[in-house]
Amino acid sequence: MLLLRALWENRRSLPGWTVAIAGVGLMYAAFWPSMRTPEMSKALAAYPQDMLAAFNMSDLTSAAGYLGSTVYGLMAPLLIAVFAITWGARAVAGDEGEGTLDLILAHPVGRLTLALQRFAALLAGLVVVGAALLAAMLAVRGAAQLGDVPVGGLVAMNLQLVLLGACLGAVAFAAGAATGSRAVALGAGAVVAVVGYLANSVMPMVDGLSWTRNGSIFHWYLGGSPMLDGLQPGAAALAATAVLLVLAGSFVFTRRDIG
Amino acid sequence: MTAISTRGLVKTYGRGRRGLAGLDLQVESGEVYGYLGPNGAGKSTTIRILLDLIRPTGGEVSVLGLDPRRDGVELRRRIGYLAGDFVVAGRQTGRQLLAYLSGLRGGRGRDRFAQLAHRLDLDLDRPIRGLSKGNRQKVGLVQAFMHEPELLVLDEPTSGLDPFLQQEFVHLVREATARGATVFMSSHVMSEVQQTADRVGIIRDGRLITVESVHSLREHAVRSVTLTLAGPAPADEFQGLPGFTDVTVTGATVRGRLAGHTDELVKAAARHTVVDLLCEEPDLDEIFFHFYGDQHVAA
Repeated sequence: MLLLRALWENRRSLPGWTVAIAGVGLMYAAFWPSMRTPEMSKALAAYPQDMLAAFNMSDLTSAAGYLGSTVYGLMAPLLIAVFAITWGARAVAGDEGEGTLDLILAHPVGRLTLALQRFAALLAGLVVVGAALLAAMLAVRGAAQLGDVPVGGLVAMNLQLVLLGACLGAVAFAAGAATGSRAVALGAGAVVAVVGYLANSVMPMVDGLSWTRNGSIFHWYLGGSPMLDGLQPGAAALAATAVLLVLAGSFVFTRRDIG
Repeated sequence: MTAISTRGLVKTYGRGRRGLAGLDLQVESGEVYGYLGPNGAGKSTTIRILLDLIRPTGGEVSVLGLDPRRDGVELRRRIGYLAGDFVVAGRQTGRQLLAYLSGLRGGRGRDRFAQLAHRLDLDLDRPIRGLSKGNRQKVGLVQAFMHEPELLVLDEPTSGLDPFLQQEFVHLVREATARGATVFMSSHVMSEVQQTADRVGIIRDGRLITVESVHSLREHAVRSVTLTLAGPAPADEFQGLPGFTDVTVTGATVRGRLAGHTDELVKAAARHTVVDLLCEEPDLDEIFFHFYGDQHVAA
């Protein structure tokens, strides 16, 4: 009931995000055949390697490397991050801030149930978006000459993407559930996303800072090569972090005053 | 049987702001209890603790024999609640909202809300954001009453309603008590309390100062009286009447504050030709002042 309601309340934004993220995937896939020309390789070789690495564009010569650098390295995680953080921040802190949570909690609804169902709705939304992107990539796999990327690899990559979203969404959800402030929730999600991104892509370039990578959720998401080798240990780290954050946030939510 | 009981209930907010400072409250099953007090006295704090929206810092609370904290879901099944600042998201229509809320109660009230809305003259098919404050308040009343709860907890229920609807509200309360429900409501409107409540509790600074029957509250109530005669009013006839104080006489007009019975004043006035008699509704502020004044003297 509460889960369906939460999905219903996001009925306007979910289709937009789904189309946007699947569309980005299709667009990059469509460029791949033209990226395979020698001219393009030469042009890219002229860029400083560090700069390319900062945008997760370390390997643009293989199909898996290209997708990992473009769709899955930058645009999709960026969009997923914004999608998950804004929804996660809204999940509890949204209607609490508007003063409309009181009415629901004055009904025979447990706080833990409410929190968990609202996060479950976000998870369902992420699965829809991830599945749409996967479907789009599978649909153009042949036409865009992406046959080198195994189907299982694409499935694994999209699953890791959904888990990245779940983890970032969980950060915002937990901060919102614990404090009741949507601003705090958005801030927490944004900080973790930005620091995580920098710790994976930029900070390791500084000598002595390469260790930061291990604590970065972007490393958990992109580390190893899920597109070729299937699910990586990072998937477990993302899932476990998300579960812990959701439980911790919900626990605080059951104990505090509703604002 | 006690519907609501609190003992030594304390609620302290951050930065030392006091919500409740040892509240002892007893509301009997089947009665209508008016909960009065100035803004910031702790009325809404009490109500939000009963619903388990906030948690007390100390003391005990029991509602319908249950602990709001431990048995909140079971308890709220049996409560109808109207918040003091009833707000809902504006895109949906009243019908959509009420259908959803009755769904949260397992469908209870689904067959009743349309009829209640009709009684209150509420259009259920307009988006809530397009409704006036009074109409939104009606939505709030409907959702509180629709599942015929054992206990109604109403925070300022008639704010924004016109007199006709205030009257309809009084009917709703009477119907609820007729089927055995208990009503606990906070209010600023003396007339609605007088018409519905059996007992009144007055709270200030987080403590219950006094509990009175509505009858004795009215006895204590000070009314402000303005009397206009056809000719010049003789001051000596109106000064010194029992219960009539702060008397000023200017020309044909007599003003003063009347406590207790009206009889002596009316009889004194009847010796003259009375052009106008204005007896103003006892002002809650004055009633508060009366009780707070007493307490002040005692302290």
